[in-house]
Amino acid sequence: MKRPATQRMEEFLYFPASDSWLGFLRVAVALQLVTYCFSLWRDWLDLFAIDHAGVIKRDLAEAILSSQSHYIPRIGWLVELCKGLGATEQSALALVWWSLLVTAGLLLVGLFSREAAIAALFLHLCAVKSSSGLTYGVDNFTSIGLFYLMIAPLPDRWSADCWWRSVPGKDGQWQGFSRRLLQLHLCLIYFFSGITKCVGVGWWDGTSIWYALIRPPFNLLPPETLIAWKSLFPVLSISVCFLETGYPFFIWLHKTRAVWLIAIIAMHLAIGLAMGLYFFAFVMITLNLAAFGPEFSFGGVGSKPARKIATIPPVSP
Amino acid sequence: MAPAFLAFHLFLIVVVCLRDTFSVFASTPTILPAAINEIWQDGEQTAAALLGQRLDRSNWVRNGIAVYLHGAGIESGYGFFAPNVPPNYKLVFEVHYPDGRIDYEIPRVSNAATGLRFAGVLDQLAEVTYAPLRAAMVKIVAYSVWQAHPDASLIRAYLGSGRLPTPAGFERGEKESYDLLFAYDFTFPRRRTDAP
Repeated sequence: MKRPATQRMEEFLYFPASDSWLGFLRVAVALQLVTYCFSLWRDWLDLFAIDHAGVIKRDLAEAILSSQSHYIPRIGWLVELCKGLGATEQSALALVWWSLLVTAGLLLVGLFSREAAIAALFLHLCAVKSSSGLTYGVDNFTSIGLFYLMIAPLPDRWSADCWWRSVPGKDGQWQGFSRRLLQLHLCLIYFFSGITKCVGVGWWDGTSIWYALIRPPFNLLPPETLIAWKSLFPVLSISVCFLETGYPFFIWLHKTRAVWLIAIIAMHLAIGLAMGLYFFAFVMITLNLAAFGPEFSFGGVGSKPARKIATIPPVSP
Repeated sequence: MAPAFLAFHLFLIVVVCLRDTFSVFASTPTILPAAINEIWQDGEQTAAALLGQRLDRSNWVRNGIAVYLHGAGIESGYGFFAPNVPPNYKLVFEVHYPDGRIDYEIPRVSNAATGLRFAGVLDQLAEVTYAPLRAAMVKIVAYSVWQAHPDASLIRAYLGSGRLPTPAGFERGEKESYDLLFAYDFTFPRRRTDAP
């Protein structure tokens, strides 16, 4: 008998899932945040202190931000708050850096996971929005990862909350719902990224791959080496368009899911290694593995239902 | 409640992506016919309106959507190096001293990770359409250079757009060449604590 569309939709959205994806996402995003902190610690004051000789000024970035909304989080709020308590700008900025590192550490071990995720998202947003000229994709995707951590049913079973504070882990349909949201988001990301590439002439004749690889500061490989592989450029660039545009279709089919996931991960690895975008590659691989990896690593939805999940009462939406 | 949240969240992602995709289609060279650029512009305007961006700046719906988009990391679309790889921009400073000496400087950052981020600043400098904002941004970078040369009498900033050789051009021995986009002269007071 054919099930009604609403029931099928519910089954799709609230599929039973384990919390493996969440544990993985938590640890990987926390590591990303730790590396963010350490990669900027030398430049932190130059980036955010008004009287320092940074390459971009916080007040300008925040003024541009205010043209969108005055309520978007920014470092200026925290500095003003600390100044009101008698601290200097420098000590306030140092406090923000340490707070971000500590929240990332808490997230990493899973102690006060949800509170840490919320605080980390807020502090990371403040830093990213107040240095908007110096941000790129990696910061957006880190925010996305933190946002899904914030709304997901933390703690997971590998977190310190579970094994140390004895807070019970949450399995079941909410895990599935949160992961489904991330999966759908990734599909939209790749689809639009792929479509936008498809309309560029350079992505059909391979010159975009060439330009991307020789354009500073991504020119890690010598052009003399690259040119020897020029016949591969069209194949590679059309493959990128096909992989990205086809992601929302082929990632759902059982027969193509593994191939697509491996190919996308390989693409990000290649981008990371060839262009020096290590953090970007790391966060994209993290999101992909969290969204679609558990199906392969832990025996997920499509393959077999998780026995443990069946014992947990469903959570009504 | 949860399905409504999911629908709202995905709706916003789609609309933001459409807005930025239409904007790219309308403003950059693509394989699509230029004759339909107006359609893309209309699409961009419609998507922006759906995101509340045509409402008054103080409107709570507009502000609420903006905060949510930024908070969720979904305020911009996705198109890394698409549809075309942008030109390679370069910022060079000519440092003039009172005795007539001239030094050349490029912006300095402390590590490769920040250097990667700085490439985005150069893209923004070149692409920002509001001239006073661009001048203010260049002045901030120039100020960081002046702090290393406080006795300079004038700092001249050159922003250039690099033309990378095609694979065939590279094989013929062509190198990257630069076109001057903008030049600015800046003078700073001779006290290290005066920010621009």
